[in-house]
Amino acid sequence: MLDYASVKEGAQIVLSTSSDENHPPENIIDGLDETFWATTGLYPQEVIIRFKSPINISSVAISCFNVQKIALEGSEQDNSDKFVLLSEQEFDRDDHHKQNEEIRVEGNKQVHCLRLLITSGYDHFVAVYNVKVNGRG
Amino acid sequence: MPTILRAKCIVTGDAGVGKSSICQVFHSDSSHFPKNYTMTVGVELLVKPVNIPDTRDQVELFLYDSAGKDVFSEQVTKFWEHPNLVMVVYDVTNEASFTNCVRWLERVYSVKPDVSLPGVLVANKTDLDQRRVVSPKQGKELALSKGLGYFECSADKVLIQNILGEVPWDVDNLSEKQLELNHQDQIDHGMTNSSTAIL
Ligand SMILES: Nc1nc2c(ncn2[C@@H]2O[C@H](COP(=O)(O)OP(=O)(O)OP(=O)(O)O)[C@@H](O)[C@H]2O)c(=O)[nH]1
Ligand SMILES: [Mg+2]
Repeated sequence: MLDYASVKEGAQIVLSTSSDENHPPENIIDGLDETFWATTGLYPQEVIIRFKSPINISSVAISCFNVQKIALEGSEQDNSDKFVLLSEQEFDRDDHHKQNEEIRVEGNKQVHCLRLLITSGYDHFVAVYNVKVNGRG
Repeated sequence: MPTILRAKCIVTGDAGVGKSSICQVFHSDSSHFPKNYTMTVGVELLVKPVNIPDTRDQVELFLYDSAGKDVFSEQVTKFWEHPNLVMVVYDVTNEASFTNCVRWLERVYSVKPDVSLPGVLVANKTDLDQRRVVSPKQGKELALSKGLGYFECSADKVLIQNILGEVPWDVDNLSEKQLELNHQDQIDHGMTNSSTAIL
């Protein structure tokens, strides 16, 4: 299955609220499991991924650490601040393992930009290793 | 590119104990000590970059200078979500401001119970030696019992770097975690960094 949120498929990071040069947001879409984006303090934190072209998203798989509350939002346009809520989740705490979560997205919405909005965490910093987007291009 | 870490510090305590004075002296690098009392209404946010020694990195400290007057307390705690640090200030010439510290702490913890929250108890106005009623020993004991650092100062001379040096950073705990979770390396590293920054 194609992972639309990957550099290989033409995805890009267009915005992020934390940029530590050792752990940049591009690590989320590099297709590698061990690299991650690290936040550098405070909430909320967000990152916006732009796909090569609009996707009909059916699910989003996220692998992360210390994330508590997260919202997924989508925008139809490739360059807009009009986002609609796709899903809101609260992840369980796991002090010893990555959180691997699959979020189903209903409603057949066309999404060109996907925003991950982390509104709280289980620690002062959180990490996002990977985001995989399934759907139809 | 240098990394900028961000930390939110709640500054709380009774009205008139000198919270705003401490924050402003710090913010202005000691050039501005407000002699006249202006009551803080709600919360005033001051952002101050602090360099991490021996690196090009910085911690941007977000100081939430919070009103001490009780009428504002509900309004104030709304701004207290997701703190990284807490500073509880009292006036050494005012016994009530000291006993109320426990209440302020409880308020802070009621907002964010599930994240470790290092903090410091600040005994202010030590220049008013003659009128001092709360002894250093009392202050230290309270700090110890609450797991806080302890610091004495008078706001016109204070260096917040020194206050933050008294914060009992949970560095041991962090490095333990680091062994357990090497993939979390950077996260812990970040915390250790921000602590050394301000030490
Ligand atoms: N002598 C002396 N006076 C101080 C010191 N720190 C603050 N003051 C004075 O105490 C008064 C009150 O200080 P503020 O910093 O406004 O007090 P606050 O804690 O912010 O009060 P609220 O905003 O009402 O909660 C001012 O007149 C300051 O000049 C100090 O260390 N020594
Ligand atoms: Mg004030």
